[in-house]
Amino acid sequence: MSGTERIIDIEQLTKNYGKHRGVTELSLSVEQGEIFGFLGPNGAGKSTTIRAMLGFIRPNAGKIRLFGKDIRQHREEILAQVGYMPSETMFYPGMKVKEVIRLAAGVRGLDCGEEAAMLCERLQVDTEKRIRELSLGNRKKVSIICAMQHRPGLFVFDEPTSGLDPLMQKEFFLLIREYVDRGATCMLSTHVLPEVKRYCDRVAIMKEGRLQSVEPVAALTRAGAKRIKWVRDGIWEEFLYEKDLNELYRELEGHDIRELLIEEPSLEEVFIEYYRT
Amino acid sequence: MRYIYRHEMKQYWKTLLLWSVCVGGMGMACILLFSSMQEEMAGMAESFAAMGTFSQAFGMDRLSIATLTGFYATEIGTIHELGGALFAAMLSMTMLSKEEDGHTSEYLFSLPVSRGRVVWMKWSVVCSCLALFHLLCMGFYGMGFALLGEGIPGKEFWLFHGMQFMMGLELAGICFAVSAFFRQNRLGVGMGIVLLFYAFNLVSRVTPEMEKIAFLSPFAYANASEILSGGEIAAGAAALGAAVLILGLGTACVKYVGKDLG
Repeated sequence: MSGTERIIDIEQLTKNYGKHRGVTELSLSVEQGEIFGFLGPNGAGKSTTIRAMLGFIRPNAGKIRLFGKDIRQHREEILAQVGYMPSETMFYPGMKVKEVIRLAAGVRGLDCGEEAAMLCERLQVDTEKRIRELSLGNRKKVSIICAMQHRPGLFVFDEPTSGLDPLMQKEFFLLIREYVDRGATCMLSTHVLPEVKRYCDRVAIMKEGRLQSVEPVAALTRAGAKRIKWVRDGIWEEFLYEKDLNELYRELEGHDIRELLIEEPSLEEVFIEYYRT
Repeated sequence: MRYIYRHEMKQYWKTLLLWSVCVGGMGMACILLFSSMQEEMAGMAESFAAMGTFSQAFGMDRLSIATLTGFYATEIGTIHELGGALFAAMLSMTMLSKEEDGHTSEYLFSLPVSRGRVVWMKWSVVCSCLALFHLLCMGFYGMGFALLGEGIPGKEFWLFHGMQFMMGLELAGICFAVSAFFRQNRLGVGMGIVLLFYAFNLVSRVTPEMEKIAFLSPFAYANASEILSGGEIAAGAAALGAAVLILGLGTACVKYVGKDLG
């Protein structure tokens, strides 16, 4: 695969649930080797996009290609190269962890024993336990193993770290980094902004079923509003400023300015700004 | 695909054993009780045979409840046909919908397997469980006959259980199709379908005006008294059953393959 190959290519995706909006005219692409963040509040259309990408639901309009192939026509072939972790991690309660992991590998027609053992060790998973005995965090770990054990070319994670302790979150991102360094691509749907800032190359922001922006994480925080901190006429003030900075300087004329700081806003602030407007 | 088949069989083997032991065991216990009840049965047989339409409806004008075959047809046959039909409904009503009901559909369908194949694997499990259920029950009944020192009632016995299996498949096919429309397990709907057909069969047997439409119920061609008394199978009803089964499977497949997963 060349470094610029599009692994995910979505064109004008629209999905409605009856009268309810899902996603409207969404277009985006993710290139090989990227860790792509997918941000948005609940109901923004992130999960709908992912579910359409994996063929769980049928779009009303639009095209979805993964690895250059149409998901509707080549679903099984594509899914053989995808590792998916749903936000709601549920398995068959009576099964043992090792049975769930083996079933996922078996249906793929692969023997993933070695990789699965490595993942179980790093994520500290007891494979003899039954699913019903596991906490949410441990079920998440099993889901991570099922998604990673066959070394897929594309990872799709929907809210992967909720329920994981900080150590496991770190281990999870280390694993992603390792697989991506070996040529995989990762799409990460999350609410956790520090994760996006720390690990993602680009980020898409969704709002009310529409794509608001797709930018490199650094550009997203640089563009738009600035955080202003000053001591004006002896009073400390801090605020986000979106207009032309020259106007701000003019406004300061005739005032006693003791301190003035102009900073890039945090990703959280950018995120909140998107949803305020 | 053997992984999915094996996985589903593992999920259902305890239920299969439980139902087989309950229905088959109850049938065997009834067979074993027959010798102690034989005298009372002889008294009852005359009254049962003189109940006019009722006697005809349940084949008691041709079979005597005082004989083991007659007792088997009227008592064990009823337990078996109701037990088998409810088991078929329970199995097929949950087989497809349990993935969405238990929120496991995203795990299963994120694997590289088509929904069509999953539907067929699941249907194979329904067929296998039903076949094993009938074989196990037949084993229990056969054991009951052997313990009493009686021979099993010949080819009619096999024909009855063959028709019962076919009836189970038809009911399972209907419930399988219905369940494809649901996102939750609707056991009550399956049980309701079975009891509705059973009641329809009873009413159509005792009501001469309904005799012509009796074939609409799957119970019409698998009646123990009719088959064990050497009567003919309702071929029209059986043919309709086969058609309904094919239609049910087609509907389940088309609906399940085409729908959005919840």
